[in-house]
Amino acid sequence: MMQGNLYSMRETFGKLLAELGETEKDLIVITADVGDSTRAMYFREKFKDRYFNVGISEQDMVNFAAGLAAVGKKPAIVNFAMFLMRAWEQIRNSVARMNLDVKMFVTHAGYSDHGDGSSHQALEDIALMRVLPNMKVIVPADPKDIERSLPVIIKERGPIYYRMGRDYSPPITVGQEYDFKIGKAYVIKEGSDLVIMGAGVVLWDALKAAEELEKMGISTAVINLFSIKPIDEDTIEYYARKTGRVITIEEHSIYGGIGSAVAEVLVKRYPVPMRFIGATTFGRSARSQRDLLDYYNINYKSIIREAIDLVK
Amino acid sequence: MLVDLGFDIVPMEKGGSDGAPISIEELNKLRRVAERARKNVIKMLFYDQSIHVGSSLSSIEILTTLIFRYIRNHSNLVDKDWLILSKGHAAPALYAVLAEKGYINEDELWRIQDISGLLQGHPEIFIPGVDMSTGSLGQGLSFGIGVATGIKMSGGSGRVYVIMGDGEQDEGEVWEAMTHAVVRNLDNLIAFIEMNNFQLDGPTDEIKPKNFLPKVWEAVGWKVLNCDGHDFISISNAIDEALKAGKPAVIFANTIRGKGFPAIENTKKQRSSPDDARKSLLDA
Repeated sequence: MMQGNLYSMRETFGKLLAELGETEKDLIVITADVGDSTRAMYFREKFKDRYFNVGISEQDMVNFAAGLAAVGKKPAIVNFAMFLMRAWEQIRNSVARMNLDVKMFVTHAGYSDHGDGSSHQALEDIALMRVLPNMKVIVPADPKDIERSLPVIIKERGPIYYRMGRDYSPPITVGQEYDFKIGKAYVIKEGSDLVIMGAGVVLWDALKAAEELEKMGISTAVINLFSIKPIDEDTIEYYARKTGRVITIEEHSIYGGIGSAVAEVLVKRYPVPMRFIGATTFGRSARSQRDLLDYYNINYKSIIREAIDLVK
Repeated sequence: MLVDLGFDIVPMEKGGSDGAPISIEELNKLRRVAERARKNVIKMLFYDQSIHVGSSLSSIEILTTLIFRYIRNHSNLVDKDWLILSKGHAAPALYAVLAEKGYINEDELWRIQDISGLLQGHPEIFIPGVDMSTGSLGQGLSFGIGVATGIKMSGGSGRVYVIMGDGEQDEGEVWEAMTHAVVRNLDNLIAFIEMNNFQLDGPTDEIKPKNFLPKVWEAVGWKVLNCDGHDFISISNAIDEALKAGKPAVIFANTIRGKGFPAIENTKKQRSSPDDARKSLLDA
């Protein structure tokens, strides 16, 4: 079911952003010299007067966007996840503190910049953004999820961190019927013995693992958390009650990331045994993102191993 | 005490708001406002000894000139003038001058930093008259470029004034912003850099010299001006020149940290005791 063509997160994002520029007349796109790599270039080609490359100056980029938002514009920062983190304090002290309408669309998150190695692989960004007051954190699973959510995100007021990879994007939610809503999680597979929760491209592994587990007689649900902050506490609690076992998977550090966010909810509302699958250290170079996910055991095999351990 | 800028200061002859000459009456008014604001900053020490008095007293005349002579209010965000205190630790001076202008009730000044008070240790936008929440150095100029660019895109008439310190120039983001502003051709952006020659741990000369800065800003493409940051005519002349520059302008303002407060004047000291404050106010 999941062996469709790989298609690109950034291509989908860049083209859709340029399309949205037609109707969103106040939308301004800002980048720190990565317009080509992020595909913000499609917006640049159409709306030169609403596109700013500030140069390799991430801190300046964030406060520049904050200033534009302060006078009523709709700035959208488009950058590598990793290098936007260089301006975390600017995001904290200017954007979040003044609750300004600045959107941050990041690509190259997780291991997606596989070749460049650990310096370029953002595995801490969800944790860093999630702690900020006023900040919303959104993680689409695949290009279809980008299509569902981008028009909604552009219209939403206030700071939003929107996390994408690069090209690796196995189809996960194609054929699924749901509209995107901030704060809502989506059940992409039903099940009753175990629930796998996560966001982003690793949900492909969640579905693959669920399929294998079904063959072993373990009925496995898969939840696309999509909106990491605000998080859908009700759905998380409901499936914890229903299955009694939770595995989280993320292309991010297990410390402070998606697994932690789920644990925060469950410890408060309905504690159940949990397993956390994700990064525990820096990445490295590889020829493909898939190689890295397998190398660091962030894949369906790990889920199956943990699942068998949880149900026995 | 003036900093040797290492190049000729741009001559300034014209005076007054947008070129209008500054009258004796107006000058006297500015003096009275600044004098009261200065006393009120020192008086805040009776209530809270942790405020940054030294840096605040360095900024009184610049803030007075801007708020009483230049800043135009307007309900439209792109037609109002913006005042960004990037050196946010001088907040007490900003509050004292805003109180003179009627934005803030004077009684609030004595509740500065109190849990139930309005006035925070650094500026926050929920305080009337504050256009940007600051406190972390180096961020005001980039924000100002965003505001000034937004104003230009909307065809607004607003101008943006950003006040920075000399110690603040150590921040890398200032370089990012300085080079950015020139690219945007922002003739509605005016930056002040207060040269009071001290930063938190001591004299700027010993920590990171700043005397080369005017040459750097000029080389990058800014209109570079100079003024005596405690003299209303000199400050006004510099602003009038800056407004005619046709490009982003920076005014290096020579100031004295702790100006008018003998216990800490011209030292790195930010704070002092209520006793010193009382003595200073009685002597004045």
